[in-house]
Amino acid sequence: MAKHSFSLSPLSSFILPRGDTLFYLIALFSIISLLIHHLSPVSAESRHFEGFDADEIDDFGDSDEPISAAKHLPPPPPTTTLSVSDPIESHHGPPSPSSDPTPQVTSQPSDPKPASTSFEVWDEDEFEGIPQYPPSDSPLITESDTAASSESDPGLKLEPESEPESPKSISSYTVEIVCVSFLIMFVINYFTGKKENEKLALAWASKFATKDSIFDKNFSLLGVGETDDSPLLLKEGQNVFKFYASGRRFCQGLLATMELKSRHDLISRLYNMVVPCKDEITFEVYMNDDAMDHVVVAVAKKKLAKTMQKEITDLQRFASLVSPPSGKKWIAEELAVVAESKEVAGDMINETVLDQVFGDKAYEKFGKGFISMHFSDQHLGSQKKMLVFKFALPDAKNMADMTRLVALVPYYIDLIGRYKLSTHARTKTDGARMKVAQEIYKELQNARQEAMQRKKAEQRKKVEEAEAKLSAEALRKKEAKERARQMKKAMPKMKMTRTG
Amino acid sequence: MSSPANDPRQPSTAKPYKPSPVAPQDLPIDYSGFIAVICGVFGAMFRYKICSWLAIIFSAQSLANMRNMENDLKQISMAMMFGIMGLMTNYLGVGPRGSKKT
Repeated sequence: MAKHSFSLSPLSSFILPRGDTLFYLIALFSIISLLIHHLSPVSAESRHFEGFDADEIDDFGDSDEPISAAKHLPPPPPTTTLSVSDPIESHHGPPSPSSDPTPQVTSQPSDPKPASTSFEVWDEDEFEGIPQYPPSDSPLITESDTAASSESDPGLKLEPESEPESPKSISSYTVEIVCVSFLIMFVINYFTGKKENEKLALAWASKFATKDSIFDKNFSLLGVGETDDSPLLLKEGQNVFKFYASGRRFCQGLLATMELKSRHDLISRLYNMVVPCKDEITFEVYMNDDAMDHVVVAVAKKKLAKTMQKEITDLQRFASLVSPPSGKKWIAEELAVVAESKEVAGDMINETVLDQVFGDKAYEKFGKGFISMHFSDQHLGSQKKMLVFKFALPDAKNMADMTRLVALVPYYIDLIGRYKLSTHARTKTDGARMKVAQEIYKELQNARQEAMQRKKAEQRKKVEEAEAKLSAEALRKKEAKERARQMKKAMPKMKMTRTG
Repeated sequence: MSSPANDPRQPSTAKPYKPSPVAPQDLPIDYSGFIAVICGVFGAMFRYKICSWLAIIFSAQSLANMRNMENDLKQISMAMMFGIMGLMTNYLGVGPRGSKKT
């Protein structure tokens, strides 16, 4: 776990609060840059339009919306069709004073300039295709032609916009439709899924934690509060529910954590369609320190048992896979036991347990929801002696299916609370624990020493760097200063001698 | 099961529940929030509609999965801001380009 958190820390530092300031900086920066981006063209436009009438400014102010611009400028599109400007461009010579161009110029004397200024204002990126026309035209065509070309531009500008109008109806809004409908589905699913999860958790609580149920008979305090009326379940997030019980012999308390499917989350729900997962409940029983002998046992399905043996540290250190003893009833074939010794395994998996849950026949019937079971007096963390049970939750309707599994919990608390290792086994386990403790101590010391050495090395480096920086210029200055000081020290003495 | 005759309950030893403090590093990483921020930034910078929409969807997801109010809310609100800003610039703002791309 520690390794995990370490390896993730660079990523998490991005996401977690420390990175917040960075995000805000980025956010601020991008907002400012966007603002600048938006403001700059506007200010440029306004500067250009200072000399013109208010009507024209209005026109170009509205030109943000192409359709309204088309309404405001009715004359250009009919008069300046491509057929008009084409002959002029093909001639390229001095414009023949035909009847067409002159009335255009006279009728719209104010038009050409704003159009050209608007050209300067637009970014090249914005109209990638269009600005290629003017440079090819403008050097060759005289003033009267620029009017025509500039007038042809609004026509050009309007044409590509009027074209997409027709298919714009539905197909162009697919993204929006899909996203909005997904969001709506998401919101609906959030509430329904939330309710489903709550129902499931409540079904469990009403089955096992109400009056005259298993937990009520075994624990004096139920629920997360201090009083009896306190709520039984504590909700963490939308899919994690916790149930706490305390006040029983041999143990300090029991914490059941239900991790349900995230039904409230549509995305993970879709993901779970591909990769199915189960509703799980984990019981953690915190044993009293004097109530648990050296016991390290785990039971799980074969595959899981192997991975547990490799990955969980206390199993890794103390336990190994136990082969099924010959000539004795043993747990169902799918299951495997990881234990410190055969003796412990044999005592933990006794006749009653085999009868109730783990035997071949019983397991077929009741073992569906069993995931794993892990008892250890060497758990990592503050609470060392702990029993951990992991079961899969059935549907809300079939909650009774897991009654036998839940009944395992108080049974094992009593069994382990009373259990004492034989002296022979105890010496062995004592030895093993001593060894491990020494190893851990050594590792710790090594780690400390390394850390110390690193620190020293860093400090040395810092000092050296500082000296190196100082050395070149500062040394000279220092020397100069010292000289001056010495001179000063010498001077007053001289004075003293003079006066004295 | 084989519960003994005497009552196993011991009210005197009952301890009230103490929620174990969880270090913020141990919390599951909020991938959806991270994706939302990235999508939001991309959407706002390059005016990709889809990115902005994805940002909003993912920030909704991380909002739904939120556990720690204070820490997560900041990040999620930021992702939301980016997403909404991207959409605003796409649909309302900046005249010719926004309308042209639609």
